Amino acid sequence: MQDVEKSSFSGKAELLKMLDGIEGEFSYEGTAYHLPVTYAITGRAIHTGDEARSAYEDTGGNPLVAAECITSFEQAMHGKEEDPYTGFIVDSVLRKLGYSLVDGSILGLALLAGTPPRPDTAAAICRELQEKYILTFLAGDVISSLVESGVKVGAEYRLVPLGKQPLMGIHFIDIIARVAMMFGGVAPGDTDRLLRYAQERARAFVIVFSGLDEPEIAVYDAFGLLGIPILSVDGYEGKEWVQVEAGDAVGKGLDLKGIRVTVTAIPIPMACSPAFEGKSIRKEEMFVEFGGGRSPAFELLRSRPAEEVTDGKVTVIGPEIEDIREGSAVPLAIIVDVYGKTMKKDYEPVLERRIHNFVNYGEGTWHVAQRDMVWVRISKEAVAHGVRIEHLGELIAAKFRIDFPDLLDAVQVTLITDEKKVLEAKEEAGLIYEERDERIRGMKDTDVDTFYSCTLCQTFAPNHVCIITPERPALCGAITWLDGKIAYEISPSGANQPVLKGDMIDEVRGEFEGVNRFVKKASHGEVDRCSLYSILEYPMTCCGCFECIAVMVPEVNGFLIVNREYTGETPSGMTFSTLAGTIGGGAQTPGFAGISKGYILSDRFLQAEGGIERLVWIPSLLKEELHDRLVQKLKERGIESLFDKIADEEKAVALEDLIEYLARVDHPALEMPPLI
Amino acid sequence: MKVDIISEWTGEIGEVTIGATKKEGGSRCAAIVIGGGSGFPFLGGSAPGRKPLIAFEFCDDPKLWSPIVTEFEGDVVNDAGAWAARAEERHRPDLLRFYLTSTRRRGFQEFSQVGRSVEEVLERATLPLIVEGSIDPAIDSETFLRCGEAGEGERLLLGTAEEGRYRSVAAAAMAYGHSVIAQSPIDVNLAKQLNILLRETGVPHDRIVIDPYTGALGYGFEYSYSAMERIRYAALKGDEDLAMPMISSAIDSLNIKEVREADPGQRGEMAVKWELYTAVSSAIAGASVVCVRHPDTIVPLRSAIDSLWGKTGGGD
Repeated sequence: MQDVEKSSFSGKAELLKMLDGIEGEFSYEGTAYHLPVTYAITGRAIHTGDEARSAYEDTGGNPLVAAECITSFEQAMHGKEEDPYTGFIVDSVLRKLGYSLVDGSILGLALLAGTPPRPDTAAAICRELQEKYILTFLAGDVISSLVESGVKVGAEYRLVPLGKQPLMGIHFIDIIARVAMMFGGVAPGDTDRLLRYAQERARAFVIVFSGLDEPEIAVYDAFGLLGIPILSVDGYEGKEWVQVEAGDAVGKGLDLKGIRVTVTAIPIPMACSPAFEGKSIRKEEMFVEFGGGRSPAFELLRSRPAEEVTDGKVTVIGPEIEDIREGSAVPLAIIVDVYGKTMKKDYEPVLERRIHNFVNYGEGTWHVAQRDMVWVRISKEAVAHGVRIEHLGELIAAKFRIDFPDLLDAVQVTLITDEKKVLEAKEEAGLIYEERDERIRGMKDTDVDTFYSCTLCQTFAPNHVCIITPERPALCGAITWLDGKIAYEISPSGANQPVLKGDMIDEVRGEFEGVNRFVKKASHGEVDRCSLYSILEYPMTCCGCFECIAVMVPEVNGFLIVNREYTGETPSGMTFSTLAGTIGGGAQTPGFAGISKGYILSDRFLQAEGGIERLVWIPSLLKEELHDRLVQKLKERGIESLFDKIADEEKAVALEDLIEYLARVDHPALEMPPLI
Repeated sequence: MKVDIISEWTGEIGEVTIGATKKEGGSRCAAIVIGGGSGFPFLGGSAPGRKPLIAFEFCDDPKLWSPIVTEFEGDVVNDAGAWAARAEERHRPDLLRFYLTSTRRRGFQEFSQVGRSVEEVLERATLPLIVEGSIDPAIDSETFLRCGEAGEGERLLLGTAEEGRYRSVAAAAMAYGHSVIAQSPIDVNLAKQLNILLRETGVPHDRIVIDPYTGALGYGFEYSYSAMERIRYAALKGDEDLAMPMISSAIDSLNIKEVREADPGQRGEMAVKWELYTAVSSAIAGASVVCVRHPDTIVPLRSAIDSLWGKTGGGD
C-alpha cells in the first residue's frame, strides 16, 4: 500500500527535478490551445523550459502543469509513441468528442491507469464502461494487459490508449481543459470558472491500479482539484482516494459524478408532453374522475430510505380501470415514494406539487389542485387506447426520474382506489400536511429580505405571478415561502425565483418596489403594482388553483370567503365556480382575491382593510376545518367572540339574511370604516 | 379618437450572424446579420429592425421535393452543387437553404455523402448557407456531426432543433461554430422552453433563430402569425428567452389543395401566389428570414419587401 499523502509529497519534488531538465522549444501539434492545461489555468502559452518553470511556480507548484510541460517536452524530443498509443489528441478529434458529449451519445469520460492485478479485471471494467456509454482513456500497463486478454482498443471501441506510462493520463486532463474552453466558454486563465466547469459539468472519473510512481501519484492526486474522483482498486490509501473493489469501481464512479443512463420514452399508451398541459377534459369526454369533492382523493410524496423504494415500481390497490363504470367518481390516493442521496425532507412538498404538471402532461389525463383537494380525470379516448390507472403511476414515476435525475435515484408509485384504504391513508397524509405547515408558522415577512415567485401556472394563466412570503403562502396552498426557497435551490432556472423586497412603498398594503419590478417583468408588463396585504388596491393576480376566494361584500362592509369544496351559493350571489371563472386566468380583480386556506390565519390577511374583523361569512366545513387554529388566532388578538359572529351557509345564504344576521350578532365589520 | 401606439419597449431583439467571409475564416461572399430592432414592423416610433431577407430552398434528393419546382428547374436539380450555383446566379436570393432530403429516406446510412454534399454546395455557391439535416433521432447524431464538420468556419445556420431532438443540432453548432434553428409547433410557451433547453445545453442566445412553424395561408397561417406576434411581443416586453430573430418557411404552400388541383397550366403561378402572400405576411409578422421554393416567387417578394421597407430601409 502506498500512502498517497507521502508519495505525493516526494513526487512533487521529483516533478520539480524533471521540470528542471527541460530546455529548448517545444509544443503540441494540432491545437489552438498550446499546452491546454497550463493555458487554461494561467492563460499563458508555454513554449520553453523557462516559461514552463515560471508557470509552475506561479501556480504554486501545480503538478498538472509540471506533468503537462514534461510530457509535451518528451513528445517534442522523442516524437509520439508508436501505435496503438495516441499521445496528445488533436483539436479536430476532440471537437468530435465534445460533440458526442453534448449530443448525449457519450455520457461521461473515464481514465484507467496503472497495472491491473489480473488481465480480466481490466477487461471486465472496460466492458461495463462500454455498456454505460462512457468513453474510456487508458494509460500505463493496463493497455498491454487488455490487448493480451483479447480486448480491442482504439477510439472506435471507445477505449483510447493514451500511452505506455501512467503519466500520459495528463492528456485526460488536457482534454477536459479544452472541452471547458471550446464548449463551456471558459476563458484561458480564468481558473475559477475552469474549476467550476470541471466540477459541475465534467462527468469524469479515474480508476487506478497499482504501479503508479511517486510523481504520478502527485499528478493523479491533483485531479481532485477539478472534482475528478480517483477510485483505487488496489495499491493506494489516504487523502480523498476512494477504495473500491474492482467489480464496484464503475458503479461507484458513475454514482459519484451523477452519471445516469436516462429514460427518455415513457412506455404508456398515451402521448406525454407539456403541449397537453393546458388541455382540460370536460365531463362528457371523461371516463372516470377522482376527487374534486366527488370522491375522497389525495396525493402525497414521501422521502423514504433506499431499501423501501424499488425504482419504477407501480402498484394499484383496489379496482383498476376495467372494474370501473364509465362516468363514475372513484376514490384515489397517489403516493409517491422517493429515494435520493441528496433528497431532503424539506423538498417533499415542492416535488409533490410537480405531480400536478406531470399528470397534465398526459394527453388523456387532467389534474387540478393539490394535497387532499386534488381532482383528476382520465378521458374516454385514453381509456379506449388502453390507458389504465397504473399508467398514471408509470407516467409520474418516469417524469420524476427524467426531470430530477440528479436528485432522485429511485421513485415508486402506489395508487389506491379502494375507498376504505384511501380514507385510512388520507388521515396519515393529513398529519404530514399539518406538520409541513407547522414548519413555516412563526416566520414573519419582516424577518426576510427576499420573497419567492411562482409562475408554475403561466401555462394556464400566462400573466399570473404569485408572490410567496413567509406570511402568505401561494394561493394554491401547496407552496410556502420555504418551499419556494427550496425549489429555487433544486432548480435555479425553475418557476420559483427569488424576489428582493426592495424599498417599502406602502407598509399597510404591503407594496414593495422590488416586488413591483419583478411582477411587471414576470407578467410580461401586464401588472405594474402588486400589494401583498390588500384585496382592494392592486391585489395579486389569480391563476385558477386558489384554495379559496375572498370576496368583498360592500353591503355589510366586510369580506366573505368561499373554498373550492363548497359547491353551494354564497351571499355574493355567486358560487365558487362562477367566482373562479370571473377572477381567474391571471387577472388582477380589485375586491376579489384567490387565497390559500393558510393565509386566512395570517396576521397579514386583509391587513390593509382592517384585518380578520372584516370576515363575515365562510362555509361551515371550512370553519370547522380551521376551527382550532382560527379560535387560537382570534384569542391572541383578543377578539375571541368574533368566531361565532362569522356567518356560514346555515346562518345565511341570501344577502338580506346575512345583513340581518350580522346586525343581530353585532358583527364588528358593521362599525368599521366603509370599504368604499 | 386618438390611438396611442406603444413605442417604448424594454426589450430588444437579439442579432444572429450567418456566414463568414474569407477574412473571418470562411468562404462566403458576406456575413449577414439578422434580427435587432426594438419594435414591431410598421407601427412607427420605434426601431423595427432590419429588412427581412429572402432564402431560396433547395435539396439533395429532388424526388422528395415538389414536382412543381423540380419541373420548373429542370435537370440541374439532380446536382445540388450546380443547383446552388444557379440559384445564386439567376434567382438571386439573400441566402440559400439546403435540405438534406436524402437523409429522409428509410434506412439512410450514407453519412459520408452528407459531408460531401454540404462541402460541394459551399464550393459552388458563395451566399451564406442554412443547412437542414435529418429529422430522425436515430440518425441525427451522425448527420449533424457531418454537417457541422463540413461547414466548420462558415458560420452556418443549422436546422432544425425541436423539443425532444435538439442535442445533436446543438452539439454541431457548439463544436463547429454554427447557429441553430429552434422550431416549435406554433406555441409561444414551447418556443421559450426549447430556447431554455438550448441555453442549458450551452448554445448562446446570439446563435439561436426561432422557427415558430408557418402554416400555409388559409391552412393555419393565422395561428403562425399570432405566434410570431406573441413571440415578438414577449421579447419586446423583456423576455430574453424569446428575443431572437425568427425564420419562416411556409413549406406546405406548394402542396395545398388550391395548388394541387389547379389547372396544370396554372399550377406554377398558383404556387407562386401562395408562397408570395404567405411570405409577405410572415415578414410583416416579424420574420427576419422568409424562405421560398419556387424561383419565380423571389422577384415579386423582393419588390413587395422593398416597397414596404424601402430599398435600403432598416437593412445593412
